[in-house]
Amino acid sequence: MKRRSIVKYAAVAAALSLGVTACGGGSGSSDAKTSGTVRVTLANHVWTDGIKAAIPEFEKATGLKVELTQLGEDQLSDQYNVKLNAGSDEIDVMMYRPLQEGKAFAKNGYLADLTSKVSADSNWDWKDYQDGPVKASTVDGKVVGVPIITEREVLYYRKDLLAAAGVQVPKTMDELEAAAKKISASNPDTAGFVARTGKSAAVTQFSSFLYSFGGDFVDASGKSAVGSDAAKKAYSFYGGLIKNYGPKNVSTDMSWPEAMAIFTQGKAAFYTEADSLYKNATDPAKSKVSDKVGFAALPAGPAGSKPYNIPSWGLAVNKASSNQDNAWKFIQWATSKDRTLAAQKAGVPGPRASVWADPAGTSTYPQDLADAIAASAKTGVGHDRPEVVTVGKAREIVGAPIVATITGADASAAADTANDAFQKFLDSEKK
Amino acid sequence: MTVLNQTTDSRTAAAPAPAPRRRKPLATRAYKVFRVVALIAVVLFLVAPLFWMLLASFKTNVDIYDTGKSFFFTPTGENYANVLQRNNYFVFIFNSFWVAFVSTALSLVLGVPAAYAMSRFTMHRSALVVLMARVIPGVSLLVPWYYVFSNLKMVGGFEVLILSHMFVALPLIVYIMMSYFDSMPLELEESAQVDGLTPIGAFRRITLPLSVAGIATAGILSFIFSWNNFMFALVLSGSKTKTLPVAIFDFVSYASIDWGGLMAAATVVTIPIMIIALFTQKYIVSGLTAGATKG
Repeated sequence: MKRRSIVKYAAVAAALSLGVTACGGGSGSSDAKTSGTVRVTLANHVWTDGIKAAIPEFEKATGLKVELTQLGEDQLSDQYNVKLNAGSDEIDVMMYRPLQEGKAFAKNGYLADLTSKVSADSNWDWKDYQDGPVKASTVDGKVVGVPIITEREVLYYRKDLLAAAGVQVPKTMDELEAAAKKISASNPDTAGFVARTGKSAAVTQFSSFLYSFGGDFVDASGKSAVGSDAAKKAYSFYGGLIKNYGPKNVSTDMSWPEAMAIFTQGKAAFYTEADSLYKNATDPAKSKVSDKVGFAALPAGPAGSKPYNIPSWGLAVNKASSNQDNAWKFIQWATSKDRTLAAQKAGVPGPRASVWADPAGTSTYPQDLADAIAASAKTGVGHDRPEVVTVGKAREIVGAPIVATITGADASAAADTANDAFQKFLDSEKK
Repeated sequence: MTVLNQTTDSRTAAAPAPAPRRRKPLATRAYKVFRVVALIAVVLFLVAPLFWMLLASFKTNVDIYDTGKSFFFTPTGENYANVLQRNNYFVFIFNSFWVAFVSTALSLVLGVPAAYAMSRFTMHRSALVVLMARVIPGVSLLVPWYYVFSNLKMVGGFEVLILSHMFVALPLIVYIMMSYFDSMPLELEESAQVDGLTPIGAFRRITLPLSVAGIATAGILSFIFSWNNFMFALVLSGSKTKTLPVAIFDFVSYASIDWGGLMAAATVVTIPIMIIALFTQKYIVSGLTAGATKG
C-alpha cells in the first residue's frame, strides 16, 4: 500500500515535470546558432566601453554580427561556472581572468587551444606581447587566451605631503618605511601608508613585496614557500607598515575600493596598488587629491624592485562553441595594435610592447606613472597570486598571515601555520 | 553612529530597573521608557543602511567617502539621471515587474486550489513533496536547469524566468494557504453544501472569498521574493530580459565603482517594493497569523 503510493507520487512528479518542459518547448529567446553571429561575453570595464563603441566597425568590416553580454566581474565568473559546466555553446568569446580562473577553466576543458591561431598571423604579431602576460595566458604549453589588460603594482604617493615633510620619493623599502614613519608622526590625521588589508584581496598587492624580499608563494620544486625567511620578512614588513603607520583602527577587510578611498580622501601619504586603478586617484570626480598624486615604481627590497606584471583580463574562445573561427576573428580585431593603442589611451594599460614603445601609447598617462610602468614591465613577475587551480582557496590561506601581522600577531608563527596549510592544499591539488 | 551608541547606553541603564512588585506604576513607567528607547534603537539600526543609501544616491562619488559630509552636502540629481536615462532602467523595471507579476499570478492559480485540496483531504505526503522543493537550495538546481532550458532554447526568455520563480513561489503559496484553510471552520462549507452547493461551488463561493487576506499575503510574499531574486535571473536571463537585481551590478566595474549610481539604482529597486509592502502590510500580518491559532 505504502510502496504503491510512493510510486504514484513519483509518476505524478515525472508527468508534471514533463508537462512543464513540453509547455516551454517552442517558445523562447532568439536562436543565435547561425554562424554569422558572434556571441561575446565581457566584464564591466573601461576596456569594454571602448570595444562596445567600436563594434559597428568590426561588423561593417567582416559582415558578422556581434551579440554582447556585459556583466560584473563576479557575476561573470558565476555565469561561466554554470554555463560552461553545462557544456553551453551559447558563448563564443569570453573575457576571463587568466590568473584567477585560467587554470581551472583550462583544466575543465572550457578554453579552446589557440596556439596555432596566435602564431598564424604575423601582422597581428603574437611576439609583440610581453612575456609575463603571455606566460599567464598559457596553460600546460598551450595558449588558451589573449591578454588584453595588464597591471603592475606601483607606489602612489602624495607630492604635497612628501614635500612638506622634506622626504624624497622612496627608492627602497627601508626608505619607504622611514618616510611613512616621518609623515605619520608629523600629521596625526594622516596615515603614513595604506594598502589592502583583506585576507584574500591583499594577496595580489602583497605579492610584489614578497618577490622584492626574495620570496614567492611556491618554490622551484613546487613546495609551499610562504614559510621561508624571505616570506616571513615580507609578511612582517607589509603588515607592520599598516599596523604602525596605517590608518587608525584599520579594518582588516579592505580591498581596493576601501583602501583607495582612504588615499583619495587625503588620509594617507603612500599607497601601493595596481597601476590600472590610477584614474580613481587622478580623476577630480573621484578624488580629493587628484592634483597632488605622484607615481613611482615599487621600492626595492633586499632582492630589488620586483612588482608583478600580469594580465588581469584576457579573451578566450569557448571550446564548446561551434563558431570558433569567427570568435577568433573577433579576438584578432579586438586585440589588434590599433585597438590596443586606443584602449591604452583611454586609460587601460595593454600587453603589447610596441604600444608601450610608441609615444602615443603613454601620451595620456602622467609622466611619472608611464616611467614607473616602463620600469616595472622590465623587472615584473608574471603572477600576482599562487598559480593553482582553486585560486580562491589558496588566497585565503596565504593571505591569513597578512591579517595576523596587521592585528599584531607574530608574523613568523602565522607564516609557519600558513605554510603547513598551503603545503597540504598543494598536495591535495596534485591528486 | 553616535546616536546609536547613546541609545544603547541608556538602554543598559534603563534595563536593570525591575522595581519591587508593590510599586507597580514606577515599574510600568520604566518599562515604557525602556520600550520606547529599545524601539528607537532597533528602528535606527534597521533604517540606517536605507537612510545611508538614500543620502548617498544624491551625492557625488567624492562626497560619498567624505565623513565630514555625511549629512550636509550639496545634493545632485546626476545619479538618477544616469540611472533612468542613460542606463535605461525603465526596461529593467518592466522586466522585473513582469516576471514577478506573472509568476505570482500563475502560482496563485495553481497553488491556492492545491493548498485547498491538501488541507481538506489531509494529503500530508503531497505537502511534503511540495515542501521538498522549498528545502532544496536553488543554487544546486541552476546547472541542471540551465542545461535543460538551453537545450530547449528557452534561456534568455521571460518564460524560463517565470518558471524558475514559480518553483520557489508555488511551495510558499501552498504552505501559507494550507495553514489558512486549516484554520477555516469546516462547518461553513458543510452548511453551504446543505444549501445545495457542490464541494467545488462551496470552495469558489464561500471559502475563496473568505481567504482574500491569506491570498494577498501569499501573493505579496511571492512577489517580493521574485522582485528580489538575483541568482536565477543571473544565469537564466538574457540581455533583453535582465531584471533589476542583475542590472544593478552594471555600476560595478573592474577598476571603478560608481557608488552614486549604484545607490540610486538600489533606491529605484527598493522603493516600489517598499510602497507595496507599506500598503499591504495589514494583509501580510493578519494573513501570517491567521493559521497560527487553529483549534
